[in-house]
Amino acid sequence: MLEQEYSYIGKSLPRVDARSKVTGEAVFTADISLPRMLVGKILRSPLPHARILNVDVSRAKKVRGVHAVVTGADTAGEKWGVFRYTRDQQLLCVDKVRYVGDEVAAVAAVDEETALEALNLIQVEYEELPAVFDCHSAIAPDAPLIHDDWPRNINVNVKIDVGDVDAAFKDCSLIREDTFVAEEDSYFMTEPYAVVANSHSDGSIEVWMPNASPHTKAKALSNALKLPLSKVNVRKITIGGAFGGRSDVFPAEFITCLLSLKSERPVKVVYSREENSIATRMGHAMITTIKTGVDREGRVLARDIVSYLDGGAYSSTGPIATSVPFLCHEQTYRMENVRFHGYRIYTNKPVRGMIRIHGRSFACGIDTQLDMIADELGIDPVTIRLRNARQPGDTTPTGSHVASCGLVECIEKTAEKSDYLSKLKNPKPNHGIGMGCNSVQTGFPLGIRGGSQAFIKFHEDGGATVISGVVDNGQGNDNMLAQIAAEELGLPLEEIRLISADTEVTPTDAGSYSMISTFGGGNAVKTAACDAKNQLFKVAAGMLKAEPTDLILRNRTVYVKGSPDKGVPIEKVVRKALIMGRPIMGRGSFSPEVDQKREWITNPKGQLSQTFSFGATVTEVEVDPETGHVKALEVTAAQDCGFAINPMVVEGQFEGGIAMGGQGGMLGEEHRWHKGHLLNPTMLEYKMPSIKDMPKINSIIVETIDPGGPYGAKEAGMSVAMSAAQAYCNAIGNALGIYFNHYPLTSERILDAIENKKPGIRTAWEFEPAKILETDSEQS
Amino acid sequence: MTVNGDPVDVAAPPSATLLEVLRDELGLYGVKEGCSEGVCGACTVLMDGQPVRSCITLALEAEGATITTIEGIARDGALHPVQEAFIANGAVQCGFCTPGMILSAKSLLDRNNNPTDDEIKTALAGNFCRCTGYTKILKAVREVSGQTKPSQTD
Repeated sequence: MLEQEYSYIGKSLPRVDARSKVTGEAVFTADISLPRMLVGKILRSPLPHARILNVDVSRAKKVRGVHAVVTGADTAGEKWGVFRYTRDQQLLCVDKVRYVGDEVAAVAAVDEETALEALNLIQVEYEELPAVFDCHSAIAPDAPLIHDDWPRNINVNVKIDVGDVDAAFKDCSLIREDTFVAEEDSYFMTEPYAVVANSHSDGSIEVWMPNASPHTKAKALSNALKLPLSKVNVRKITIGGAFGGRSDVFPAEFITCLLSLKSERPVKVVYSREENSIATRMGHAMITTIKTGVDREGRVLARDIVSYLDGGAYSSTGPIATSVPFLCHEQTYRMENVRFHGYRIYTNKPVRGMIRIHGRSFACGIDTQLDMIADELGIDPVTIRLRNARQPGDTTPTGSHVASCGLVECIEKTAEKSDYLSKLKNPKPNHGIGMGCNSVQTGFPLGIRGGSQAFIKFHEDGGATVISGVVDNGQGNDNMLAQIAAEELGLPLEEIRLISADTEVTPTDAGSYSMISTFGGGNAVKTAACDAKNQLFKVAAGMLKAEPTDLILRNRTVYVKGSPDKGVPIEKVVRKALIMGRPIMGRGSFSPEVDQKREWITNPKGQLSQTFSFGATVTEVEVDPETGHVKALEVTAAQDCGFAINPMVVEGQFEGGIAMGGQGGMLGEEHRWHKGHLLNPTMLEYKMPSIKDMPKINSIIVETIDPGGPYGAKEAGMSVAMSAAQAYCNAIGNALGIYFNHYPLTSERILDAIENKKPGIRTAWEFEPAKILETDSEQS
Repeated sequence: MTVNGDPVDVAAPPSATLLEVLRDELGLYGVKEGCSEGVCGACTVLMDGQPVRSCITLALEAEGATITTIEGIARDGALHPVQEAFIANGAVQCGFCTPGMILSAKSLLDRNNNPTDDEIKTALAGNFCRCTGYTKILKAVREVSGQTKPSQTD
């Protein structure tokens, strides 16, 4: 269907949720106020690794105004995990603490002051244990074991081996092996984490918290609290960003629920900025060693990659986080023979999760090494990427068919817009230009929770309510659903009501974390809307004395095609249907076509996601060699998002991605540590861009119209953040003639690299490589 | 003090911040707490027309002052032009930074109704946003200031 024929789809309409946000009316979790609500505070471990010998809460319980105190003793001590084989975390510690910040006890009291007073009266006796704070130390033979069931502190071991890598290396005219290191990056969503839990006398509990899937949180809480799933109601709430850091269940909500159940009152826990950094999630620090072999023209024939991921104290979504950095790049670039060993390693530090810029040492490593190879062969960076770029109709190394792919178009358009090759040939002093390419999945195999369903009900006045499990983290999913419904139902956008992300009412949905909200959730709503439309047409056909197939729905009216004067208002059809005893109730569902037998560890092959988005980003910078300061001049991002349901919203994702992955991610974002203590948990010392730092951004939306996506749409949320990181890295490198391999590229690192620059095509620094590890079994 | 045009008397301990009083005593939850150390700007309110960080302003300092929060800038059911521009230009994603950002912008435009890009950026430099990359925020503020073209290559 051509864009011009749409009323709402493909248009840059203002978002339906914007008004309540500009007035301050939108309710975030910390804004909730319920009668008799208590304040909850959590007591955390001050040590990175210790046995808990005793927890004495007797004095805390006696403080006037304290209504509940909980410790590990109030739980069954069971270990929780996202996967059956990653069950390693007691959501309230019972026997051990494993990082500075691990949850040990909690208090609910009438106000914050009382809660803190009670917290101070809880006495915990610890027996300190030796701790490890980085991957190499954690896997050393004498390293202390953080979890008894995971030898050598190896939490996850992903092994992928496709083709014949060793034989293919023999055919290469050039082979490089380089190691790339990235420190932890962190989400720093503007809203600090918070939970409100309200238990009821019927044994049910309502919970509000930022999340990337209310159904995932509800199921986990149901298991952990030993309550039936139907009694755990996770409610809709305005969410201040997620970026991958609010997906799986946290001790915070488990503890808040316990406090509410025990006190029989609503309890609110609001995290400080410091707690948001330490006690939710952060990104993985990574060491990635990449060995790549190419033919004379720079086509990759073989690749062998080993990654160490610093996972922190618990698994979280470990198997996914360990795999996705590799999977994104096996999608982006052709590599017939490839081996990947990904090791997620426990350390005594806060827990790491999936983050929008997945595995920046991996991503930047692949793209920077391509530049190095191009340099050695005398090819330019654009040509080498075109020669290796994913093409539509390809199959990825692990067996995914690629239905739509505009990567080549994205590379060509960004190169053209930025005048890449001529700037490369005629560089201004201290100016550089660099490119990065990305590909991101739209949904993975998630078993019974991999699909999305939706219902649509009509009101007597012809308005409609869409009921969907899709969650909005701020990226605009609510608006996306409303725009789709408005288009299909012929109603003005303002007349679409939305009930979403409430597990008591809304049907299941896969969650926003696998970039599937538009592809899956949007398709489900579209299907439900078409179903509702067909029901309307069956009724209207009688009223208009026409065939249902002759009818169209536009501007609140059902028309006969070609006779705009021969129509009946929607509300009349709705009322007629009610009289007939056949009320209009639309239903739809969508499950992506993925290989459900695919598993991250035991079977990492088969269709990973029904489709993939692709893109390229080019960054131009100016570097001051005296100070190491980088000024980003201009960024051009082209992304094949399939189809832009709302171009203004899609651009917003590009721009936000560039700020987070590039401007922030590559120039200043890292966590710094001292023996497991986080030195920069807040915005004061974790440097992120302000409005003054941002360069000019050119957004190019490429539309390949995916055969499976709603109106052809795929995703646009994660991808540009990744390739922006790569592009910034390569641009700075180009400006200085240095290949950087330690991120982020702070002024200190840049100056150090300039000062110690050695001749030849080499990385700026040498690091101990990540090596294949002997493990007892393939499955950890 | 006067809050959004209404005279208000609040009893609060000496250590109470203006943020706590506005949210917990007066129910003005549009004022957000993002960092509690005066860095992110989510708590920005206007005190006698000037943007202040309410999380590090003692409530006592607001004695006798005129306070404007996000709840107070619409007039007779009509949104303020900055609010309208934010909606129209896609300058709102998750919305958590939005109240503070809008107040900083409004305060600038009240003092200088034709700011350059640099002046806009300086006025908003203390408001952190993680979602938008600031591009459409800048565009929205430019639009309200009557600029039809950027005042320099942006």
